[in-house]
Amino acid sequence: MRLYFRLAWRNIWRHTRRTVIIILAMGLGLALMMFYDGLIVGFDEAIYGNAIRVLGGNIQVHAQGYRLKASQTPLLPLPDDQAVVRAAQELPQVVAATRRINTGGLASSREGAFAVNITGIEPEKEAEVNIAAQNVVAGRYLSGDDGDVIFIGKGLADAMGVGVGDRITLTGRSRHEQMRKRTMTVIGIYDLKMPDLEKRTIYISLSEAQSLYDLNGQSTEVAIVLKQVGQEAEVIEALKPVLPGYEIDSFEANFPELQQAIQSKSGVMNIFSVVILMIAGIGILNLLLMAVYERTREIGILGALGLRPRQISLLFVLEGTMIGLVGVVMGIVLGLMINGILMRVGLDYSQFTGVTDYTALISGRIYPSWGVEKLLWRGLTVAIISALAALIPAHEASQNEPAQSLHYV
Amino acid sequence: MIQLLKMAFRNLGRNRRRSFFSALALAMGLALLLLLASFVEGEMGSVIDLTTRLESGHLQVRAKTYDENKTSLKWQDLLENPAQIAAQIASLEPVQVATPRLFASGIVSVGSETSGVRVIGIDPLSDANAPFRDGLLSGEFLTPEDREGILIGYPLAERMGLKAGDKLNLSVNTSNGDVDEQMFIVRGIYSTKTGGFDRITVFLPLAKAQAITQTDNHASTIFILLKDKALTEAVAAAIAGANYQVLTWEDMNELILQTEQMANGYIYILYLIVLAITASVIINTLVMAVFERTREIGILASLGMKGRQIMAMFLTESGLLAVGGIIMGLIIGVLVVAYFTRYGFYIGNMGVTGLLISDTIYTELTWQDTVNLTVLSFIITLLAGLYPAMMAARMDPVQALRGGR
Repeated sequence: MRLYFRLAWRNIWRHTRRTVIIILAMGLGLALMMFYDGLIVGFDEAIYGNAIRVLGGNIQVHAQGYRLKASQTPLLPLPDDQAVVRAAQELPQVVAATRRINTGGLASSREGAFAVNITGIEPEKEAEVNIAAQNVVAGRYLSGDDGDVIFIGKGLADAMGVGVGDRITLTGRSRHEQMRKRTMTVIGIYDLKMPDLEKRTIYISLSEAQSLYDLNGQSTEVAIVLKQVGQEAEVIEALKPVLPGYEIDSFEANFPELQQAIQSKSGVMNIFSVVILMIAGIGILNLLLMAVYERTREIGILGALGLRPRQISLLFVLEGTMIGLVGVVMGIVLGLMINGILMRVGLDYSQFTGVTDYTALISGRIYPSWGVEKLLWRGLTVAIISALAALIPAHEASQNEPAQSLHYV
Repeated sequence: MIQLLKMAFRNLGRNRRRSFFSALALAMGLALLLLLASFVEGEMGSVIDLTTRLESGHLQVRAKTYDENKTSLKWQDLLENPAQIAAQIASLEPVQVATPRLFASGIVSVGSETSGVRVIGIDPLSDANAPFRDGLLSGEFLTPEDREGILIGYPLAERMGLKAGDKLNLSVNTSNGDVDEQMFIVRGIYSTKTGGFDRITVFLPLAKAQAITQTDNHASTIFILLKDKALTEAVAAAIAGANYQVLTWEDMNELILQTEQMANGYIYILYLIVLAITASVIINTLVMAVFERTREIGILASLGMKGRQIMAMFLTESGLLAVGGIIMGLIIGVLVVAYFTRYGFYIGNMGVTGLLISDTIYTELTWQDTVNLTVLSFIITLLAGLYPAMMAARMDPVQALRGGR
């Protein structure tokens, strides 16, 4: 077998120029895919990186039935939120576990009204981990004994034309289906450079939320902050047996549409890339057809020396696959170069953050990754397509009658 | 010239399979690009079309101080006597329909669940609301006199478990900055197949909307559709007045136009990459052809053919190859595109709310794209042929005759 490899390897370099051209074509195709993969990962990271901080943690624990209705933020109190907090804090990966109340409401002033997510937080416990708490631009962050004050984003403050000390009416629904309307004072303004997101999120203290929504001493969510991203799965596994009957989700679960968008776009891209690789595959096919024709006599000699038709076929299939794989190497080099440059420069996405809920989490630029995440699959696709492209020439070569081929001029 | 064409044609015919595959590579490339272009065109076209029909219209008239981002309901930010203004505008010849609309923000709640919505007060009789009337899935459409009916979108109904006839609570902001709550009955459920719009938009009859928001006889905007989009500027100039602002669909849809521009930029890079790959396949085929025919080229040269003529011959070959590939590509491309134009391309719900994207995209192949791509692939194929042709032209006849380089 090693002999075949050596033969095939030498054969493909007998005509450097034509091999290089095809390798370039394959490489270009692969580099394009790496660029795309890198962009998707960069997009993901830009969103998820902020998502963890904005959502208040890598993992959220809710009461049963919440998941189904998550987009309506139902007021489903946790049966025993203290137990959840205790269970989480026993794990070594956990930095903080805080109780929250999430609900939807309407923030209105004379200037206008906005549908917002109202989040009740434990100010002291979240001071270290809450991204909004660390980006106060006016006034101050919440404190535990605050009543009737809210902490809002710059995006909302600008849109409503309010500043620190101004009053906003907050309307929401309490647990017992009564409308609760309360006029509250803006105590502080945070700025995350994500105006579309800031427009939708306002904070009040947990105790205030409890009294506003009839949840005495209760909360609807425990947010768990981990030391590192990527530890979600193990922590969820560790929590599940301790907390039966609770819904424990990692932060990704908050963005089902993002997953779908990426999936369907990747699907289109996969088809697209196969077509591109097939075009390059035709290049390999033509090249090998030519090689079979040129090497008629040689094939005759190989046949005369006792190589079976199948073995001759194998030689050509190997050649095709090798050209493809060298193309992969070329593509990796090109792809790394492109992504390397883009990682430094970044792509400006700020104009489009308002398009979806999840793109609102992108603050300015997207920085792609190296794009090597799916490289194994991509490389395999190239190898398969190259091998398939080599089949026709390989078959042709094996059909040569040695005696005749030897006489061929 | 005819001679040249004949020679080129015969030369291609000498190795039919190889020529076919090269043309096929080009054809696949072109077909792929046609599909891509028609997809983007279909997507952007439908976004613009949807936005115009559902949201922006061709023109809108608003009060001078009205700020779209705030949904203010202060009287000075609204148009007074909107029906009268609308009637005046509707009397203009190019105007298809003009109708007042009132915007407010609110939350819909059922049980302890809430969902933020945008409330639009409409004149139920106006033709401008056809997309919602035609998209009615169950129940019935609003009537002007309806005092407790509300029309909601399918995604919202599904998420909150509402059916026609069910009750819901709606809280909306009012002109004095307060919030008012009232119970409504779901009259009907509509779908425009545009998840982002349907999920957050609910409709009330204008009179009821004015009553609950305390904006007697006021509206946020006059929504105008024209018979011909091209007349937008002319009509805008005709109705411009000192007391209000007139916005064209271009003003209101800046984001879409920007997105379209970005998409076009990216797609051109993609075009070039695909064509570069196609071109390298063709270069290779022709380079091989030049080598095969080294002796022949020597003979032609010694018979008196000039370098330029030899070059022309090879360029003609690549030109013929391009024509063959393009014809094949157009056939494949148009067939594939036709399939997706008919049956559409389901993309599902991507959670897009900032743009109005329908859940199914129907490809749309424009003449402009077709011609552009055809010309582009022809030029790139010819450019690809330049290198082998130059190689052939530069050969030394004596050397070539001996079969060397």
